[in-house]
Formats: sequence, C-alpha cells, structure tokens
Amino acid sequence: MNQTMKIIGVLVVLFIIAPLVIVVPMSLSTSPSLQFPPPGYWFGYYVQYFQDPSWLRPMWNSIVIALANTVLTMLLVVPATFALVRHKFWGKSLANIMMLMPMAVPHIVMAIGYYNYFGQMGIVFSKLGVVLAHTSLSVPITFLVLSANLKGFDQTLERAARSLGATPAQTFRHVTLPILKPGLMVSALFAFIQSFDETVVAIFISGRDAETLPRKMFDSIRQEADPVIAVISSLLFLIVFAALFAPLALRGIKRLSGRATSPSTTRS
Amino acid sequence: MTASIRDKQNLTPWLLLLPLAAYLLIFFFVPLAQVAIMSVTEPQPGLGNYERVLTSPLYRKVFINTFSTALLVTVCCLLVGYPLAYLMAHTTKKRAMLILMLITMSFWTSFLVRTYSWMVLLGRNGPVAWIFLQFGWDEPPQMLFTRFASTLAMVHILAPYMIMNIYSVMQKIDPSLVRSAESMGARGRSLFRHVYLPLTAPGIANGSVLVFVICLGFYVTPVLLGSPREQMAAGLIGRQIEEFLAFGPGSAMAIVLLVITLVILAIYHRRFGLDKLYG
Amino acid sequence: MTSYLNISGLKKDFGTFTALHDVDLDIQKGEFVTFLGPSGSGKTTTLMIIAGFEKATKGRLTIEGESISDLAPQDRNIGIVFQNYALFPHKTALDNVYFPLQMRKVKKTEGRRKAQEMLELVGLKGFEHRHPKEMSGGQQQRVALARALVFEPDLLLLDEPLGALDKNLRESMQIEIKRIQKTLGVTTIFVTHDQTEAMSMSDRIVVFSNGKIEQAGAPLEIYHKPGTRFVADFIGESNLITATITNVATRSAESALLGVMTYGDGAVDTLSGGQEVTLVLRPEHIKLSREPIAGCFSSTMTIETIVNFGDSALVIGHRDGTALRVRVPGADVVILKEGDDCYLNWTEDNVYLVTE
Repeated sequence: MNQTMKIIGVLVVLFIIAPLVIVVPMSLSTSPSLQFPPPGYWFGYYVQYFQDPSWLRPMWNSIVIALANTVLTMLLVVPATFALVRHKFWGKSLANIMMLMPMAVPHIVMAIGYYNYFGQMGIVFSKLGVVLAHTSLSVPITFLVLSANLKGFDQTLERAARSLGATPAQTFRHVTLPILKPGLMVSALFAFIQSFDETVVAIFISGRDAETLPRKMFDSIRQEADPVIAVISSLLFLIVFAALFAPLALRGIKRLSGRATSPSTTRS
Repeated sequence: MTASIRDKQNLTPWLLLLPLAAYLLIFFFVPLAQVAIMSVTEPQPGLGNYERVLTSPLYRKVFINTFSTALLVTVCCLLVGYPLAYLMAHTTKKRAMLILMLITMSFWTSFLVRTYSWMVLLGRNGPVAWIFLQFGWDEPPQMLFTRFASTLAMVHILAPYMIMNIYSVMQKIDPSLVRSAESMGARGRSLFRHVYLPLTAPGIANGSVLVFVICLGFYVTPVLLGSPREQMAAGLIGRQIEEFLAFGPGSAMAIVLLVITLVILAIYHRRFGLDKLYG
Repeated sequence: MTSYLNISGLKKDFGTFTALHDVDLDIQKGEFVTFLGPSGSGKTTTLMIIAGFEKATKGRLTIEGESISDLAPQDRNIGIVFQNYALFPHKTALDNVYFPLQMRKVKKTEGRRKAQEMLELVGLKGFEHRHPKEMSGGQQQRVALARALVFEPDLLLLDEPLGALDKNLRESMQIEIKRIQKTLGVTTIFVTHDQTEAMSMSDRIVVFSNGKIEQAGAPLEIYHKPGTRFVADFIGESNLITATITNVATRSAESALLGVMTYGDGAVDTLSGGQEVTLVLRPEHIKLSREPIAGCFSSTMTIETIVNFGDSALVIGHRDGTALRVRVPGADVVILKEGDDCYLNWTEDNVYLVTE
C-alpha cells in the first residue's frame, strides 16, 4: 500500500468529514455572522433555539409527521412485503416496480403533483397532506430493508411451529414476529428518517401550519444568515454521530467494566 | 404465514398487496399523472409547453447546465470515491470499519444540513476565506452562490453513494483472482487496467448511475448554493411553480426531467438489473 | 398386529411431474421405520404429506383408523425433527421444548416441568437457559428431539436429522435416538439416504425409488433377500449379473459373465424358461483362490485394484470387461497382487435372484 494512496485516502476522508464537523464549533460561536475563527464561544444560540417557538414548532411538526408517516408506511408495507417475498403470482414483477417508483421519481416532480392534487382536495398546507405525501415516498426504502430481512428468514421455523401445534396466527405471533422484530425496527427507522429529513416536497406543501423542520431551515438559510441554523444543523449531525458511535462506546465501556468485576461466563 | 409455492389461484398475496397498491394509486400515481395532464392542458390544451421547454434558449441552457453538472459531479465522485474505496478494501478490517462508519455518518446526515455546512465553509467570513487571507489575499474570492460551490457540495453529498457501491463490489472480489493474474505476469498498471478495473466495473456503473440520476433532479443544493444565473432543472421547475404559478411549463419540464431519469434507469436495468442499484 | 399408521394409494403430482406413484404402507405402533432412498426418490415427499405440509393428489392417510388427510399440520399431533433442527433462536432450550405445550394451553408451571424432564431425558440437564446459538450441533439436535416428543405425539418424524454431524457424533446420536424411542415407545419414521444408518437403527426399512416403494422389510431380510435389482444395488454392495433362465426345475440360468449358474432363493416364485433375470452375489460371499475350491462354483478374473481398509479389503477385478467386487478379510489379502489372475468361488445358496 503505497504512500500516495494513503495520503489521497486521508484527504478524501477529511473532505467527507470536515464540512460536517465544522458546523459544531460555529454553532457555539458568539459571532452572529458565522465569522471564522469564532471570536468567542457560548451556548447562547442553543438557548435561543430552544426558546424560539418559530423553531420549536416546526421541529415538533416534523416529529409528529414522521411518526405518523412511519406508522402508516409500516401498516402498508409489511403485508405487501410478505406478499412479494413469500408468494408467486401474476403481476409480481410489475408490483415490484410500482413499489420502487417513488424512489425513481425526482421529488420536485412529486412536489408539483402534490401541490396541485392536495390543493384540489383541500388538504394542501396541512399535516395530513405531508403525511400522505411522505408515506408514498417512504415506501421504497422501507420495502427494500424489510424484504432483505424477510428473504433471509428461515421458513422451516414456521413449519416447525405448525408441527408443534401452532395455528398460522399463533405462528406469526410467537415465531415470525419476534424474529422479524429487528428488521421491522430498522425499516421503521428508515421510514422515520426519510420523512424527517424530506425537504423538497415539504417546501411546497407544508405551508405555515404544517411547517416542517427542513422547510423552516430551508427558508431561514435562504433569507438570512441566522446562527440558530447552525444550532439545529449541529444537533441533527450530532444525533447521527451518536447513533453510529454510541454502540461502539457502550461496548468499550462494558468490556472495561467487565474486566474489572467478574470473570465472563464460559461458553461451550 | 407459509404458503405453498404454487398458489396462482390463491387470493392471499393480492389481499396483502391491496392496501399498498390502492394507496400508491391514489396518493402517488394519480398526482403524478396529473402533472403529465397539466403539462398538456395548462394554460391551453396542446403541446405548447413542450415546444417551449424543448426549444426556448433559456430552457435549453438550463438542461445543458443540468446535464453537464450531473456529469461533472459523477466524474468527481468517481475520482474521489474510487481511491478511497480501494484504500478501504486493502487496509486492515478495523480501519476499513472506521472509515465506513465515517462515510455512513455523512450519508445519514440530511442533504440540507450538509448543504448548510458548505455555506459555513465557503462563506465570506468562513474558514476557507480565512485561509485565503492567511495566504496574503486582500479579498477572498466569492465562493458562495456560484456553480463551483453548488457542484462541490453535490460531490460531497453524493460521494458516499459512490464509495459504498464501489467498496461493496471490491469487498466481494476474490483475492485469488488477482493473485493468479499476477502469477501469469500481470503487474502494476496493466494488472489494474486489465484485471482489477473490469472486476470493479459493476460498482462503478452502479454508483455512477445512482449519482447521475440523483444529481439530475437535485433541488436543495443548487438552489441554496448555486448561482441564480446558472440554474439547474429542479430549481427552474420550482421557480416556475412558486413564483410564476406557471403550472403548464413547470409540469412539462418536470415530465421531461422524469422521462430522462426513467430512460436512464431503464437502460441501466436492461444492462445490469435494477435490483442491484438500490440493494 | 393391527396397523397404526396406514398409507394407501398415495399419489403426488407437481404439475406434470409425478413425485409419488401409488404408495401403500402399513406401520405398526411403536415401530421404528426408516424411509431409505436416493434424493428425489419420494421419501421426503411422503414424509411431508404425513406431516401435513404437502397435500397428496390422491390417497388416504389414517392413524388408528381415523383419517388425518384433511387435518392441518397443527392438528395432527405429530412431532417432527427437521434437517436443520429449526430451533426458535429467540427462545431458550426450555422455552423451545415448552412451546408445543404452550400451544396446547398446558399451565406454565406444569408445562415447564415437563419440558425440564424431557431435556433431562435427552441428556441436556443444565442447558435449560441456553439459546440455540450457544449450543453445538449435537446439543441442538437433542433439543429438537425433546421438543418433538414432549407433547407425547402419535408419531415422530425425523427428516435426515444426522446429516450435518460428524461421524462419531452421528453414531452416538443414532444410539441415543434409538434409546429414547425405545424408552417412550413412540412410532417413528426416520428418513435418510444413508443405508448403514438405516440398517443399524430400523425395525423395518422402506426402500424408495422414483416415487415408488421398492421393498419394505426388516434390515437383514432386505439385505439377504432384496426384492428388486434396485434394492440389491442400493443396499450394501452387490455384484449384479444378468442371466437367462435355462431350467426352472433345476434352478439354472445362463449368464454371459460367469457361465452357467445355479441360484438359491429368489424374489419371484413364478419363473419361465428364457426369462431374463438378475442374479445377486454379494462381495463377501465370494472366496478368492489360486485353484478352484471343491464343492463351489468357480470362475476366473484378473485383479485390477485392491482397496485395503485394514480390517477387510475390496478386491475389484475384471472379467470380460465387467467389474466384479470381492470382499476379502484383511489378513488374507496380503498374498494377492494387482494384475494377478485368480479364481472366484461361491455356493449356490448365496446367489439370489431378482427380476425387476
């Protein structure tokens, strides 16, 4: 592995990381105009963020919408995934393509569509409209994650349950669902994130009442260099950072404390 | 919920699929169809909008801009992503894991946050400007609201797609293939060109199509970071709707954008199989 | 003895492919029966139909006279041990074994006690709270067995359960399964393609081939009196010699390979002159010598290969282009060399006749 390769690698990694990381110290800066280097550090803008209803309300809206989106998406996608993974039927490949279409269509196209469509239905600029739109857009990724999980599911387990006296419903409840739980949770998480981060459609159809966090951020970025934007950006980034690196940290802590206390149980 | 493999007459799969199918029909395909309909009915029935969109110099310029930017972004992502993926595939497992997690971290941070971080970086008072000042420049160059900023940010945002795609293909390459090629006399550059590169081609194709297609329809970053004089397609569409309420031309442009996207995906599917793209 | 499990006229089609043609079988209560045959012979399909996971195209299935053909798998009260054990990964060993009792609404304390006892019976005391991934293959096997037996099923089905285990473990599990089966007296059907396994464990072997039962009988009966050419070939080793009947009364037949041969018992009683038959001569029933042995039928062959297993050796030779196999005790093989010519000697009571 020669040196130039290594240097290029490090540079690329820095390129990927630096922009993300830079936001955090800027959010702690005292300067209102994103001056570098920061003249001083304080938590003032964080305090401002958490006291500003014009930011808190969109954040709350986004959470509520994302939750509703997740529930609705899962209700629709879970049975459909079973149909597409476990059964052979006429029109199966067509159904497959239909389910993935929302991923292939640029969001701006759907934004126009929903603006017009929900306008006709009278639900544009409402939370309901956003939830309905986001659900369509969440379907593909949720389906992909869940179907990958389901494809790896060992169906002899269900046969075994049946042979042991379980009805199909009992089999689903006691065997299928518990084993599928991690996969369900991951796909639900993807659905949540998809809705929470979705920007383009929200810009066009969320309006004042259902203003989502991305919409608010977009408007703010466009209008003024509000340092509070740095706060929310940092928070969102730090959540991702924590989600990824926290399990590692926990494992490390466990290992350290485990060594300090009792010897680990033997496994044969 | 086991089912025997041959259940052509069985209603179960249809019933399971019904809620989602009905939902997508009502809340996805109908609105989408309406866009197509609007493109030929607003403000008057006919193909006037398409005529305008496909011939007017303004729209032409935007299309060319969009395409060339998407191409540029794709190439840059390749140039940046391929070496990193190579590095990841040829270093220790721990290091590869760490890099992968950092890439994933960027991948999961929303487009909006990442776009904003470039605004911070490239701002007139920002770190990059500061570096220019340190090197003796009186006035750092205008970086924000240029095509350069928008392109750079898009490369940053889409690079993870490319890296992950190529890396996953590289990981699956059987090392004994490369070794046997070496034993047959292939060395250095020719080994790379004739053995390794072709083996990674699916990853390159995969990543490139994904990046290109996303870039074509990109809204947020070009609008926030790009030059208003050098718009991309999605931004123009948005403006038509938002500012001018020109649903006719806006829809027509949207449909053109959609058709181009679908054609590219269809060609890719023919050649490679679409299931690999998003898997 | 009255039949316990009765299979009659079983037929199974998968589209245009017929997997089972007219399978008839009677199994007695408490019997250990093995379904033996190569892949695709129909043994697993039959098992799946008995279990209720496949539906027969035609035919009847009864247990103690009562039809089970229309019962769903969960209502058949049949215990199954699957090839990959199919233990529930999210449950402990105890909860796995308790599961069938749980489904039968047995009270928790009572059920878990029974599960505990069952685990002890299969030799897994102390393993109650382990999860499947914390156990070896052999241990998982025993849990699967315990789980299939805890609810006192009418029938126990084992679908090639020992395939994934190494030789020593496989042999000890064979003994274990047999012991448990004898202790509980449960009627058992064991599916395998391994004939030594079938020979050592079964009360009766049912040989399947191409969707039909070739023969059903006790191991030694099948070994010494194969009903068909297929069985003779599949069970143990055989030299199969094509011959034409010359005289039914004197039990003579003319073979191209070994000349005039006299046969002992046969699978078929009614024979006619000129009929084409197969004569079965097992390798261990042939003695090799430098000179023909008095009182035996003899022929010659050229030794081609000697495979020495230590306790015995397999001598493979050729005669007129056809291979012949002879089993020789280990000590005796030292004097033979590859390339030698020698005499084959046998007696007529070791020549068995099959027609099909």
